[in-house]
Amino acid sequence: MTRARWWALAGIVVVAVLATRYLVWLDPGNRCVITIRPSLVGYDNRIVKLALETLRHGSPEDYRQVCVHVGTINPNPACGGFGGGCFWHGDGQKGRATIDVSTEHGLIWTAAIVVHETCHARQFHEGRPPGFDLEHECYNEDDRIMRALVQFE
Amino acid sequence: MTKYAVVGGVLLVLAWGWASVFSWFDPSALCRVHIDVELLEGDRASVKEAISVVRREDPVAYRDLCRWVDRIQEERECMAGDPQADPRFRGADPALRRARDAAGCYIRGSRVIVLRRARDGENPATLLRERAEAITRSAGYARAFWTGTSR
Repeated sequence: MTRARWWALAGIVVVAVLATRYLVWLDPGNRCVITIRPSLVGYDNRIVKLALETLRHGSPEDYRQVCVHVGTINPNPACGGFGGGCFWHGDGQKGRATIDVSTEHGLIWTAAIVVHETCHARQFHEGRPPGFDLEHECYNEDDRIMRALVQFE
Repeated sequence: MTKYAVVGGVLLVLAWGWASVFSWFDPSALCRVHIDVELLEGDRASVKEAISVVRREDPVAYRDLCRWVDRIQEERECMAGDPQADPRFRGADPALRRARDAAGCYIRGSRVIVLRRARDGENPATLLRERAEAITRSAGYARAFWTGTSR
């Protein structure tokens, strides 16, 4: 192989590694792979990963639920606006679901939205209730995780 | 050889500058804590000032900070609950308000401390003192979480 080809190959490997690092949450130890969509500002993917890391250590059961029910996280402002999140349900979501997660309000709010939307994904996979929008159950879930993780006194 | 030395020197200066601008950077203590602030409203200098107070007054807490915290985020407030949650579930717990007024908090499972942004009319000297205390306390929480011990 010529020197130019070696450089091209090295370039491709570097791009592939960076893309994987940026767009995929990979946790082989817990058999957890989650795709993270490209964000309008690169900062947002980092907050999503920080939120997943925080759940992994701070609340392993919630983290397990995320890994089981969520396959893709979209960190861009979507139907949840700049401060909320969304869960998509439909034929394309029968496997692990896609959730939209706003990262606008920092780490703890991002982790709370992940838990909230995972709750809807779980409702969807359990087939209840019709519409999968038992909101108070999911608000209680994000409230619970914030109370569990934020330590201030 | 000289050319490589110059390039290396320039890269070192750039890395040092980068670390100093966006982080608390104290090479003598092998300490770097990244500081995230809001682009328009944030105040990184006052966070650094609070860390400097901790370094001066409480070396043990400063060591905990350097060892167990890698990021300080300045946010509008510490949110310890979701105000949209069912009030019957939350009851009349005043923790939400206390967290909102706290100068800072630690997020369990992370190496992140959140500091509340200064509010309009807040006395800078009081805020500095409260932030230093919050950093001291939160660094202790971080150490306790990651080591399973409290001092």
